[in-house]
Amino acid sequence: MPFKHTYLFLLGLILLSSFSVVQYSETTQPIQLITTQTDYNVGDSVVLKFSTSEGEHPLLYCSNSYGSTLLTGELNANILQYKIPENISKKRGAVSWKLLDKTMSLSGTFTMNPKAEVATMETYIGPPSIEAGGTDYTMLVVIPTDSLDNPVPTNTLVNAKHQFLASEETTDIFTKNLIAYKNIYSKQESGRMLVSSESLGINSKEFTINVSAAIPTDFTISATRPHAYADGNQITTFSTSIIKDKQNNVVSDGTYVTFFITNQKQNILKTTGTTIDGIAQAKIIHPDYKDAWTVKAYVDGMAESESIALQYKSVIEDYNVKFSEQNRSITVGPLQSFMGQMIPDGLHVKLHIYKTNKHIETLTKTSFNGYVNFNLKPAIYSNGNYNFSIETAGITKQFNTKKLW
Amino acid sequence: MKETSNKYLIAALLLGLAFHGSAIFFTLETTYDALIHLFFADHYANSWFEPWNYEWYTGFTVQSYPPLVHQSIALLSMIGGLKFGMFSVALIAIVLFITGAYRFSLLMTGNKTVAGYAALLAVFSSSFVETLHIFGQLPSIVGVSVLMHALPEIYLWLKTGKKWYLATSLSLIAVTVTSHHVTPIFGMVFFIFPLIGMVIMDVSRAQVNSMKEVTFKLFLNSFFKLFKRIVSFGMLSLVLIIGCIFPYWLNSKANPITQVPIPHGSRDNFLEITSSGLVFFLIPWGILLVLLPYIFYRYYSKRYLFFGLSVTICTILGTGGTTPIPLKILGETAFNILTLDRFTLWASILSIPLMGEFTYRFVEGDLKELIQSKFGAVYHRIIGGILAGLAVFMVVFTMSLNYFRPSQPQKIKMLPIVNFLNQDDHDKWRFLTLGFGDQMAWLSAQTNAMTVDGNYHSARRLPELTTRPIERLENSKFKGVAGIGSLQQFLTTPEKYNLKYIFSNDKFYDPILYFCGWQRLRQLENGIMVWERLNIPPVSSILPKEDVAKWLKIHWGIVPFLTVLIAFVLNIQMLWVNMLKTRFKPIPDFLKYSVSYHKFNRNVLRVTHIWSVFLAIILCYGLYLFYLKNDSQRSPENAIIAYYDALDFKEFEKAHQLIDPNSNLPIAQYMLEISVTDGLLSSYAKMDAIETEITQLNDSTASAKVTTQWITPLEKIEKIDYKTLSKHRKKWYLHPDDLNNDLPPDQLYSANATKYFNQGRRRITTEQTHHEDILKQPVLEVVSAKLVQYDGHYAIIGEVQNIDNVPADVILKGTLYNDDNKELATYNAKYHMKHKLMPKESTSFRINFEGIAWSKTQDSIPDTFNPDEFTPVEFEEQPTKFNLQAAGNVSGSDLYKSVVLSAINIKDKTISGNLFNSGIQEITIPQLLITYYDEQKNMLWVDHAFVKEGVRQQRKQDFEYPMLHAGKVTLINDDMTNIFVNGLPNAAIAGKIVPNRIDNHTTSQLQKIEHPNFSYIKIEINTYIGSPN
Repeated sequence: MPFKHTYLFLLGLILLSSFSVVQYSETTQPIQLITTQTDYNVGDSVVLKFSTSEGEHPLLYCSNSYGSTLLTGELNANILQYKIPENISKKRGAVSWKLLDKTMSLSGTFTMNPKAEVATMETYIGPPSIEAGGTDYTMLVVIPTDSLDNPVPTNTLVNAKHQFLASEETTDIFTKNLIAYKNIYSKQESGRMLVSSESLGINSKEFTINVSAAIPTDFTISATRPHAYADGNQITTFSTSIIKDKQNNVVSDGTYVTFFITNQKQNILKTTGTTIDGIAQAKIIHPDYKDAWTVKAYVDGMAESESIALQYKSVIEDYNVKFSEQNRSITVGPLQSFMGQMIPDGLHVKLHIYKTNKHIETLTKTSFNGYVNFNLKPAIYSNGNYNFSIETAGITKQFNTKKLW
Repeated sequence: MKETSNKYLIAALLLGLAFHGSAIFFTLETTYDALIHLFFADHYANSWFEPWNYEWYTGFTVQSYPPLVHQSIALLSMIGGLKFGMFSVALIAIVLFITGAYRFSLLMTGNKTVAGYAALLAVFSSSFVETLHIFGQLPSIVGVSVLMHALPEIYLWLKTGKKWYLATSLSLIAVTVTSHHVTPIFGMVFFIFPLIGMVIMDVSRAQVNSMKEVTFKLFLNSFFKLFKRIVSFGMLSLVLIIGCIFPYWLNSKANPITQVPIPHGSRDNFLEITSSGLVFFLIPWGILLVLLPYIFYRYYSKRYLFFGLSVTICTILGTGGTTPIPLKILGETAFNILTLDRFTLWASILSIPLMGEFTYRFVEGDLKELIQSKFGAVYHRIIGGILAGLAVFMVVFTMSLNYFRPSQPQKIKMLPIVNFLNQDDHDKWRFLTLGFGDQMAWLSAQTNAMTVDGNYHSARRLPELTTRPIERLENSKFKGVAGIGSLQQFLTTPEKYNLKYIFSNDKFYDPILYFCGWQRLRQLENGIMVWERLNIPPVSSILPKEDVAKWLKIHWGIVPFLTVLIAFVLNIQMLWVNMLKTRFKPIPDFLKYSVSYHKFNRNVLRVTHIWSVFLAIILCYGLYLFYLKNDSQRSPENAIIAYYDALDFKEFEKAHQLIDPNSNLPIAQYMLEISVTDGLLSSYAKMDAIETEITQLNDSTASAKVTTQWITPLEKIEKIDYKTLSKHRKKWYLHPDDLNNDLPPDQLYSANATKYFNQGRRRITTEQTHHEDILKQPVLEVVSAKLVQYDGHYAIIGEVQNIDNVPADVILKGTLYNDDNKELATYNAKYHMKHKLMPKESTSFRINFEGIAWSKTQDSIPDTFNPDEFTPVEFEEQPTKFNLQAAGNVSGSDLYKSVVLSAINIKDKTISGNLFNSGIQEITIPQLLITYYDEQKNMLWVDHAFVKEGVRQQRKQDFEYPMLHAGKVTLINDDMTNIFVNGLPNAAIAGKIVPNRIDNHTTSQLQKIEHPNFSYIKIEINTYIGSPN
């Protein structure tokens, strides 16, 4: 029995399918593109024409890289005309279109070509400062544009020009992918480079590139001072030779140089300077005791100098210490300098106070007219025996078991 | 019966308007709150229906404060500007207060003359004067005034049950709610509940013959009789309180105030902090203090019994932290949120009717007769004169308080700042003001630019602010170290908040700005210094906001004014009748309960006398104590404290007067010596505490050890001085300190330096800066960097060098990651680097990872906080990797490098030495950066120290630096792959400029030290120049 049902079912299907095949078909003329031109110049009037037999007015979808729009056509004696608006026809590049018909879709593209003329030069350059030596470069990008602000056709000639010191160079470059560019490498010298470009008779404005010196190379240092005495008052000035890079350019102003000073105690002192015309100067006050210095200057990680040695002669050979007023007033002085003159005010005098061999305090005072006076207030230093040591100009004097009362 | 005009009320109104109306133009703008309300008004004037405000706190909602007063100012500002609006509303508030006081007094006493007296006295009530002219609390005044207007209507509704009175009373309650939210809530408790009690008393009284016959049973009966009216009024007003400012309640629920309580003077112990006692107790009470026995006597009579309770509670709560009772009654939370001066204000307002009554009885009533018969007419006149004199003194004193103790900085001309913000797109970044006081609100009202700060602390949202007990960043120095700590976080990572400009009206903050990497731009013509920070992105054009439903916005925009309109329509008729007597109207019920003043209670007079004498004794004793404390030369301690105070406030003449005259130090010389000392301690420190220990004392000399604590913007400094004093003619004098005699070698000398100027824009244009004018970012090289752990803190340390040919401003930003590359923390380098680098200059750096301080356990806020201290981030996971972003920008400022390390001495873990200034600028604050190295000269840690004294030109300054405690530095990661300079990989960009770097170049010049964990150090010096010239 199942076979019978199967046959019936198949028969039924065949019957049904015979109806479906019968379709009504009408032969009408489909819309067709008449316009054959696919390349236009920007600014030209572009009209797309279609032949049609119907009274239909399908919309035309039209798009370029700036955006898309819908256009309504004009029917004129079975010819459908679409005028591409100016905002599309003025811009270079491919324009694709599509007819939005209900039944069939017709699409295509045409190209707007730029004018082979230059109206303006769009120019970019960067970075605005590079380093001398021939490895660093700046990049010039030129976009010559026509009167409708379209980049000019590919392979348009652009002359990239730059002046540096005595040389003035012109290089021919060509536009590709809308732009023309050139990497301008620095020369061995530092200085100012002026850059411009020209295309089809139109010139760009002037651009400035600063070519600064590369990193410094080793240099020498020297010291000047009014005298060689360790008076703790005068100032020694260190200077570098003219610091240059490996191309012999003077390094940029402001280059930071550190002078390290190693004294006899192997302590590290330090002063710094910044260069002007390649010379850095740094100052330091004289020590107030006899000392020998080794000085070496560095530009961190890049360059250094030879070290130089400086001797400071002792200025005070000896001094007096006077105790009075129950030993509570201690007068140090006269402190006399190398010619017997009173030492300039401000020499540090330290008084270390010990009680039962335990350090209590250190008082520091500065000299005035060659003397320093310490007053030990009874409120702070109770009566009793003290040890004192006085230290100035590198000379220490010890006074044991002085009684305060 | 023909009613006559109440000439007292008219006089009160005219006097009040003339007196307060002219005074507000001199006082209101310098009050604490008025400008804040002005800012809110500006918000409504610009966007009435949009509650979100972007200008403060990175955005907040104005639905956090009842809007009526602000909206009224905004509406009036359409006519004549914001300030016109504010003064107009203030005038309205004055009228409302005087008429309100009159109606409230009339209700209470039932006597028009007494009420007239009360209105007259209300004009000069010192609490009102203070609230208006010192605090500028306009919404509070409007709220309480309207509440006073509502009281008679409530009485009449409860008494008569006429629905009309229900409507009028509710309409006025609604206005109260929309102008101030706290007033109606507490008004219910302190004004309306006692009023209900009084109505029940009156109803009971009507049933019997005398007040004495009113028993509790009768009272209870009357209560049940009136129960329906009371409940209906209560429920309906509750509905209004919630409904009228529904968005406010919704917002409070959504954004509950979860902040650390901000200290308020009204919570102080008034006996300890006398200035708070003056402002929050003495002034608001004023002359009422003398009348206290009378007020309590009258308010504890049967009819007013409940007012008596209310006034008592208010009085007690108003004493703040003087007694522990307010804290116990209110509980911890409420005590710390409420400002308790409100209770004193309400107590004084509750007392107004009785003040009127007392005055009436004193001037023309039974009290006058009693006094005259007992003590004679002259005594009456003298007492009258004293009381009037006291009242006038209180008013004059209160009005001029701002003159003697200005609560605000000098008025700042805002126009230059507004112009600056409008220029050159400066308003595309957030700004911050420092030292502006409440005037910052006025600046915000005038500009569209946004600030990270704000002046309405309940609306603060950033955890950096809510976790600190500070109102504003703006005045953070007054909030001690917690304030400075909060400010530091904003200054160190300003890019998080798009904060680029700071307007500083206070030199105090300059060092912290400098050492956090900010630079001075210029001084505006109003003297405000503009600071800027480079490398900050502008605020994005779309900002987040918490939106609310549209109906809430419409509700908020419409309902407040609707309540006013309804109240106006319902009450104007009453007012018309009451004020202008245009038609006959039945006498209100409460007038039936007036008391006849025929016999003044002798005992009350006696108690008042005793009380007055008691007050006078307290006053005299207080003055005596004040004299003792301020008699600067009475004791050595006083002399020392006075001397340091004078120095702290830069009153050098006063300080000089305390110097021993025998030392023959002329003031000119003294001033000269003081004026040449500059530095952190002498120019930027505020004394926090002083402790004097007299080590030896006899009749004529004394020695003292003076320990002073100073708060500077950078760190807390403890200084110990030993002073000697001597006594001449019963006065103690200090001996002057020794001078530094250092004499520089040169009189005139020259210095050459390279200076830089960045044009910004070469062409004047409104367009964006031309691309060719944009400078290249200076190339930096991170020479070394590693993630280390020391003493429980994680830090990125290393060395960075400016390898370009132009000076650079350097900003370093470090980020820590765990093994799974999960970001754990981000922070910028703060003090531990030189932010400005000359070409080829290098600096050591350390990036600390600071958390938002104390955000976890609010109770662990240390009492004494050191601004230099920081809260390390609590890491949930172990940081193992780091990323370092270095950004350079060309900067020509703060490039002073002429500082020399001229001597060094290492002894017992202490490094001492001399700094020498070899240039031509005075160094205000030298900073030492100390880098520690191990035996192999590998960098381990970076520390810093500020030298307390400045260094003058060609002079030496000694310093002392204690080395770090022993402790091992653990190296966690020294992989340098994730280091970027101006967004480019460090290794690649550095290799181009310095291809053959001499590694560890200057390590041969490291200073050897003796330390268990470290072997070498390097000292770098950074300088802050306070006034470059």
